[in-house]
Formats: sequence, structure tokens, C-alpha cells
Amino acid sequence: MPIIIISSDSYRTGREIGEKTAQEIGYDYVDREILPPVCEKYGLQDEKLVKALEEIPSFLGLSSKFWKRYLACIQEATLGQLLDDNVVCHGLAAHLYVLGVSHALKVRVLSDPQVLGRELSLEASAVPEKVKKMLKRHEEKSRKWSLDAFNLDETDPSNYDMVISLAQIDPDEAVKTIVDMAGYRKFQPMTYSIKCLKDKELAGRVRVLLMERFPDVKVTADGSTVVVETKAVKREKRKRTEAIKELAGGIEGVNYVEVHVATDIFRQAAESAR
Amino acid sequence: MAIITISRGSYSKGKQVAEKVAERLGYECISRDVLLDASDRFNIPEVKLIRAIHDAPSILDRFKHGKQIFIAYIRSALMCRVANDNVVYHGLAGHMLLSGVPNVLKVRIIADMTDRIKAEMDREVISEEDARVLLEKDDEERRKWTKTLYGVDPWDSSLYDLVVHIRMLTVSDAVDFICEAATKDRFKTTESYRRKIKNLGLACRVKAALVDPFFDAKVTAESGNVLIFTEAGERHAGKLKKRAKELEKEIEGINNLEVHVGVPIPEDAL
Repeated sequence: MPIIIISSDSYRTGREIGEKTAQEIGYDYVDREILPPVCEKYGLQDEKLVKALEEIPSFLGLSSKFWKRYLACIQEATLGQLLDDNVVCHGLAAHLYVLGVSHALKVRVLSDPQVLGRELSLEASAVPEKVKKMLKRHEEKSRKWSLDAFNLDETDPSNYDMVISLAQIDPDEAVKTIVDMAGYRKFQPMTYSIKCLKDKELAGRVRVLLMERFPDVKVTADGSTVVVETKAVKREKRKRTEAIKELAGGIEGVNYVEVHVATDIFRQAAESAR
Repeated sequence: MAIITISRGSYSKGKQVAEKVAERLGYECISRDVLLDASDRFNIPEVKLIRAIHDAPSILDRFKHGKQIFIAYIRSALMCRVANDNVVYHGLAGHMLLSGVPNVLKVRIIADMTDRIKAEMDREVISEEDARVLLEKDDEERRKWTKTLYGVDPWDSSLYDLVVHIRMLTVSDAVDFICEAATKDRFKTTESYRRKIKNLGLACRVKAALVDPFFDAKVTAESGNVLIFTEAGERHAGKLKKRAKELEKEIEGINNLEVHVGVPIPEDAL
């Protein structure tokens, strides 16, 4: 059965639609409840993971290095859950990294602007013009977050199969539409789409492990072969390749590790200048 | 029953979706017909109207208000068509031209650029690069048009009730979803909606009759009572009042017509 990924402009709306959809269709519902075990596994703080899903790095907030690691941990845990199939997933940004998996049905649900305005506004009687500006800022923030985190604009409708606005459509009708869509043959898992998801899950696990020592690594997987891309100065290349091969080779499901090390021109130039 | 607008980019299969929805629901499917109506009614060459609704306004246009004038004509013609209800309109800016109509189901159909390029290459027999350039230019014109005239981005999903991506979902799936949504109570035309559409239709007719040269005049209508608002100076307002008097006889359905000068203009005035 397909995986249903819900994205929304409001966590509350997405959760409501996600839970109702899961209940209606008899699937498991995966949300931020999966984060505490992730924190336990990697020794992280729960609230920082949630913060990483909502904010970009800043001087007073999360550092870029930790932010990327938090997101990689969330990605790894989420992909692991999605392998189980029959899942409705929300609140973990899966729509931004589960790409090219044909049995993942992606739907974005937009809240009624009036409801979202009330949710965002701290004042009970904010003037409409102020609420409008607030909604615009909110959209811009999530757009920037998604572009910085996964290089995809989450407000762009072409990243979804359907976008439903709750301004005029009732939440129950939206749920019915999603359930109907999930029943379509084209969203049923196929050998290839399952393989794509497994590859992503394996790459996610390898990346989390390598990121601790090599924060810039990019990892892809094809079956049991893992390809790792990184940057290093010339004299470190061999050492780094060996370290990556050793670390990644020890992960369950990995048979072969291919490492591509590009020259880190900035560090190289800095070292030459010294 | 309902009014459905389908917004689409070129080669996004939106036209097919609109035609099939209209066929399934037994509605009238309109697009270019509105321009022909406007062309006949206001004696403007159709090509000028097509340009008005397609090309982004030039700097000169912004001073001459040429596009606003043509759009007032098109809007008036479209409002006349939708007054009969049971209509699917596909084409540019339907959701904008019908703003204020309460029971409109607003749909946008999108498709992947690669599929659109392929469709354009097949139809126009051109290279992939040429097709891409044409589509990107076309998209940009539409974007600029809506941004300049209405201050919104047509790619913004929040402008629509449903955005359907034709990729995994097919034209036939999109038709199913739209037909299902259109039958919901929220989109059914009630007596109060009918009155509102009638009022808007009258306001649009008056606006279209005044827009050249009184492009700054704003109009509201309710139960045949038409209010015209202007912030123009005394001399211009005098001319407007004179023209408004003539309209009372020219346009059917006006019970009373008043011109207000220098008073706050209601937000919903056209």
C-alpha cells in the first residue's frame, strides 16, 4: 500500500488531516512522536530536533553544523518508519527528501487563512492587514527553511500530487479525497519504488554515521553499494577514503563503499598560503 | 449548481480537464468565447483583448490604463456568462476576474516542465530548447500580468481550492476530483449567491461602461442601486456625473444611481 505524506502550512492542520486520514484508511500515523527515541539513540535534545524542523541556523539559535546533523537524524528515522509501508507521515519534512518514490503520495493541505491568521496572531483582534502580512511572513519563512534544508521550495505545488485548500473545502472532504487517491493503482508499491526507498534509507543511515566526523558528506546508495562524496585537501585524501570505507563498511546492508574525494580548494589554498 | 474556474499554464492539459469536467457535469465550457463576447459588445478587436489578458502591461500601459480598460470589458462579459450558472471557465485569471463571486470552485492544473516541453515540441515542431524558451517566456508573462494587475502570483497555491499535478494523477483523475468537489454544498448556487452574482454583474456592466475614460471610478451595486465612487477633481467628477446619468437609461436593471465624490471607497467596489 502507498505511503501518504502530508505537508501543511500549519502543524496543527497537517496533524489533524494526517490523523484523520490514517484512521480512515487504517494506516499507522507517523509524526514527531518518533523523535524522542532518535534523541535517545544519538544523545540529542528533543526540543532541538523540533527546532531544526522549524528554524534555520542563526547566530543565537542552532549552528549550521548541528542543524544539518539534526535534520540527517530525523531523515534517517523517518525513512526507517516509511519502509514499514501503510503509513501516513506528517511533520517530519518527508515531502522534501522522499523524492522519486512512486508509491509516496504527497499532498499539501493549506489551512483556512482566517484560522491560520488566528493561530499565528498573538492579538485576538489583529487588523486584517496585519494578519495578511503575518501570513506572508509565515509562508516566506517556511519557503526559506525548505530551500536551505533540502534545496526545495515546499510552497511550490509542483512538489506535490495535489494541494488542497481548506478555505472552502471541509477537512473531512479533504481526507476523503486523499483516501480516494491512495487507492489508485499508480500509487501502489512496485519493486522499483520499494528499492528506491530502501536505497534512501540506507544512504540516510550511512550519512548520519559519517556526519559526525565528516559533516559535508553526500551519500547515495544503490542496493548494497554506497557512494560517498566528500572534500579534503590532497594530503588527507587517502586517509579520509580509508576512514569512510571502514565506517560505512560496518553498517548493516552495505557490501561495497565507493568514495569520491574532491579537492577542498579553499582549504588547499589557505594551506599553501601559510 | 456551481461555477468552476480552471487556471492553467500552456500545455498543462488544463483545457482537456475543463472540457471533460463540463461534459461530465453538463455545464457550459467557456474560454475564448468570453473574449468574443467582449469584442462584440464593446467593439474592440479580439486581438487587442487577447493581448490585454496575455501580455504583461508595459510601462506605457500603466499610464494609459489600457489593460484595466480591456479587463473591465472582459470581466463584464464573463460575469454575464456566469450569471447563468453551471459554467466551467478555463483560461487566464478566471479566479481573479470572478473575485467576489461566492460559490466559485477555483482549480489550478499544473504539469511537469518536461511533459509540457514535449507537448509543445510535438505541436509546434520545434527543438527542445526553443520549446523551453517559449514556455518559460509564456509563464513569465502570465506571472507578470497577474502580479502587476492583481498583486498576486498565479503560482501561489493559496489562491485555489485545489491544485492538481498531472503527473502521477491523470486528466481523468483530475476530472473525478473536480466533479466531486463541485457537488459539495459549499459550491452550490443558493438564492443569496444568485443575488450577489446579479449585483456583481450589474456593477461590472456599469464599470465597463465608465472605465474609458473614467478608469478610476469604483462601482458597487445592490438590488439595482448603483453607487459610483471617485476621488477625481470637480471638473472630472462633473463629467462622470453626466455620463452616469446617461447610463441609467442605457443599462438595464438600474433602479437608482448615485455618484459619490471624495468619500471613502468600499473595499469590495470594482
